[in-house]
Amino acid sequence: MVRHPHPPVTGRPAALRRLARRWSAPLPAPPGALRRGPLRPDGFPSPLRSTRLTSQLGVALGVAFAVCFLTGLLSHLIQHPPGWLPWPSRPVGLYRFTQGLHVATGLATVPLLGAKLWSVYHHLFRWPPVRSLAHALERASVAVLVAAALFQVIGGVLNVARWYAPMPFFFTAGHYRVAWLSVGALLVHVGVQLPAVRAALGPTTAESARERLSRRGLLGGIAAAAGLVTLTTVGQTVRPLSALAVLAPRRPDVGPQGLPVNKTAHRAGVRAQALDPAYRLVVEGPHRRTELDLAALRALPQHTAELPIACVEGWSATGRWTGVRLRDLVALVGVDPDRATVLVESLETAGRYRTSTVGAAHVRDPLTLIALRLGGAPLHPDHGYPARLIAPNRPGVLQTKWVGRLTVREAS
Amino acid sequence: MRTRVALVAVGTLLIGYAVVGALADPDLRPAGVLLFLAGVLAGHDLVWMAGLLGVGALLARWVPQRHRPVVRAGVISAATVTVVAFPLVLGVGRPPDDPSVLPLPYGRNLAVVLLLIAVATLLTCWAADRRRSRRPAPDGPDGPTAPVSPSPPRR
Repeated sequence: MVRHPHPPVTGRPAALRRLARRWSAPLPAPPGALRRGPLRPDGFPSPLRSTRLTSQLGVALGVAFAVCFLTGLLSHLIQHPPGWLPWPSRPVGLYRFTQGLHVATGLATVPLLGAKLWSVYHHLFRWPPVRSLAHALERASVAVLVAAALFQVIGGVLNVARWYAPMPFFFTAGHYRVAWLSVGALLVHVGVQLPAVRAALGPTTAESARERLSRRGLLGGIAAAAGLVTLTTVGQTVRPLSALAVLAPRRPDVGPQGLPVNKTAHRAGVRAQALDPAYRLVVEGPHRRTELDLAALRALPQHTAELPIACVEGWSATGRWTGVRLRDLVALVGVDPDRATVLVESLETAGRYRTSTVGAAHVRDPLTLIALRLGGAPLHPDHGYPARLIAPNRPGVLQTKWVGRLTVREAS
Repeated sequence: MRTRVALVAVGTLLIGYAVVGALADPDLRPAGVLLFLAGVLAGHDLVWMAGLLGVGALLARWVPQRHRPVVRAGVISAATVTVVAFPLVLGVGRPPDDPSVLPLPYGRNLAVVLLLIAVATLLTCWAADRRRSRRPAPDGPDGPTAPVSPSPPRR
């Protein structure tokens, strides 16, 4: 056995070096005769395309994706609360704001993403298609990024229009998982392109005055498109602009009792139970249990609160709700309302949002109601008659309708 | 370089997290997600982009150079609102028992918005021409001395 007299103190082992060499070793180019159509050197002659334009669009798109990712992640965490996130009940309209921002930003992303992909489309036909293994992997990661970005934006547009047939998966779960995929691919992309972006965004002399004007004109056009799509949709959550929301999937004042509905009593299959005079609200505590019919609920102290329904789909609308404070019902079964959580169950027999858990902060909040009335009148069946949960700063899907049972637990 | 390595490393980890999470998610059919990913990628790169490049070629052929930025802005706006409104116009997501979902006549509204975009584009071009004709001729290819006829196609 021969030992190397002077093993290298620094530097990579030979195997790693060999791997790195092979990794970036040039691959043979395909025959030049294949270089036709869009693969021609002058296949994409528009002088508007430039690294500077692409970089600027990339930065704007990065900001938009960051806003959507963070607001979307927040919405996910509120609906699947981990122990470390104590979601507060105030400010009342915080979720309305974050989710409205999520959807509005996503819609404004449509022209940005379109323009960004147009500005780099010619790279799809670069020659040679693959220079090395490293290059192949980089191109694959760009394909993942483009597919994930289109998935999120197109999926989001289909979702707010509630057109699910083209998406062969459960939208919410797919949108959430692909959000991670898109952000991961985005970080890889930024890592790969960072020097090019820095060079393109630095002081440049390569651009003529005319090219600068064209680029700015194009950016202005994209901004105008983003502004227009915002103007014609954001009124679904920003009430003063609702008259302009001609392309919004919802109007905050359209629906029974002047409020939109996501799931009707008919579709939830609860109409008969909800209208049954034998209806009882069961309140179950750790030590005591009580049943209240509608008359008993109405006999309890009634409170009124102006609270929004803020849907995950980006629309929101404020209602004037009247009913019994949840904390009063908790006290009824002998539990301290300042230290309790409540599992709210609907009369529905099935469905993803049949139940929801009200955390301690929301139980404590005097604005959290089991509402019996909306705008002074008994709840419309589609709004949850005979009784529904309405709490501040909470996604609409967690404002359980047709409440049949409250299970009170002492918070640890 | 360290920043770049960190970005690529964290990005790769997040991609891994997304894949593992999707495979472990009982609510998700990963095959359906993959199909939609491939579908939107192919639909965009092969169908949508072909249409967009066609429109770009038409603009380059028929619109005078000096009006192109404005017309381009109009076309981008029109394409954007059409994409966003298309599923609403089809109205597939409107349930029969819930009139609060997609409550508006979206076909008419989209037509009105597109018309407004067209009018705004034409008015802006017309106003620019008027301004130009009142101003003394400046030097440069965009001045009134420039040919008014459509410039030669660029692609």
